[in-house]
Amino acid sequence: MKKILQLGVSITFLLISVTVFSQAKKPTLMVVPSDVWCVKNGYIMTFNDQGTIVKIPDYKKALQENSELLQVISHINGMMAERGFPLKNMESAIKTLNSNAAEDNLRTSKNSGAGINESPIDAFKKVAKADIIIQLTWTVNKTGPKKSVTFNLQGLDSYTDKQVATAVGTGAPSFSAELPVLLSEAVLAHMDTFTESLQTHFDDMFENGREIIVRIQTWDDWDGDLETEYDDGELGDIIEDWLADNTVKGRFSTTDITESMALFEQVRIPLYNEKNRAIDARRYTRELSKFLKSEPYNIPNKLVMKGLGRATIILGGK
Amino acid sequence: MKFKNILILAILLVLGTNVNAQWKKNKANEDTKIWRYDLECEGIAKQGSKLVKVWSYSKNPKHAISRGMKNAVHGIIFKGYAGGGQGCTPLKPLVKSVDKEEKFKAFFDAFFADGGEYLKYVSAATDGSIAPGDRLKVSRREYKIGVIVNIQFDQLRKRLESEGISKGLASGF
Repeated sequence: MKKILQLGVSITFLLISVTVFSQAKKPTLMVVPSDVWCVKNGYIMTFNDQGTIVKIPDYKKALQENSELLQVISHINGMMAERGFPLKNMESAIKTLNSNAAEDNLRTSKNSGAGINESPIDAFKKVAKADIIIQLTWTVNKTGPKKSVTFNLQGLDSYTDKQVATAVGTGAPSFSAELPVLLSEAVLAHMDTFTESLQTHFDDMFENGREIIVRIQTWDDWDGDLETEYDDGELGDIIEDWLADNTVKGRFSTTDITESMALFEQVRIPLYNEKNRAIDARRYTRELSKFLKSEPYNIPNKLVMKGLGRATIILGGK
Repeated sequence: MKFKNILILAILLVLGTNVNAQWKKNKANEDTKIWRYDLECEGIAKQGSKLVKVWSYSKNPKHAISRGMKNAVHGIIFKGYAGGGQGCTPLKPLVKSVDKEEKFKAFFDAFFADGGEYLKYVSAATDGSIAPGDRLKVSRREYKIGVIVNIQFDQLRKRLESEGISKGLASGF
């Protein structure tokens, strides 16, 4: 009797753990004002890049000074949360980054007085980011006394640079409505269309796998390259064969390949591995990294990841 | 003897009224059971709702009005609308696959039964009066009546998600 009870308890735990682990990795989403909106409204930083004037959006200033932007973002955040998909809030993400940076600057080791180790790459990567960026633009149109709002929401995959969702249109013109009211109406009118196209993207992802980008690079002190011959062909071809064997329905495209680099786009990776655990670009590419490290290739390599959807293997060392 | 006659007459009258009411109900269902209606957006409603005008067809204008709400909920679930004026954007149906209606027949039969659950998700947006332009005689024996209703869209979506009929944005993650 006791044994049966123990067996029952173990089966229940097993089922719970399988359920927990079999959830695909949820992409993070964040609403960001578009560059064109920031430029139009004067929320930009300008600097001289070797003679070329470069304008970059100043998100912090925009969020601190523009109450309409805040209203639209919070409206979108609220509607997405209602659908069980809460968004990452850009304002909070920027604040956290700033406070983390301040803390890191002040922190020292109790024993040696050493500071926090930060490579230039780490510093570069310290920006507010999400897997899918919802780029937001609106313009106010005026025809005589009538006002209307043209609204544009674009869901952009940060890694594949693809537009995965969209909602765009112009609201009904009004003589009397205030801008905040028109903006609220625009969000209400477009969010269902936007979530609908996002749903289509997720459905495609569940059916055909997550789309990622895999890059292969080489350290300049490595004595081999992607044209090095092995028993089963050149290294570049061997990597392509591995991808063909390990992608969903063999789907990927070789965008570029030379003796020192390769770029594979539209690589469709399964959402779960054979242990039914959710995988992302890093976990998936780690298998390729292991494959190249093992016999007969014995190529030491370094795996670098960027979010859920982009991974780079640098061949020739760590 | 006189009392007996009155009693029989009263029973017949009650039965007759019931039969007549039932016949009218059946007739209304008969007129609209093939889900023949047009749905259009009537403007931007408050958050979580959709304001729509549903045009129902029937030989009797009263039947078309009484079936307006049912048609509107059915339209939001299975047909959607094309958008158009008043800032409206196109809306896709909550259930995309056409075979779902057949697959979940038992649920939808109960849902759309007279006095069924669909009534929870719809309410009249006007005081019940039909605008003169919304009462059209499309042929010698048929009317087309437009009724404006408010649909509790978010709640309806959640209900269908809980039944596994439609998929939520976060499902699978």
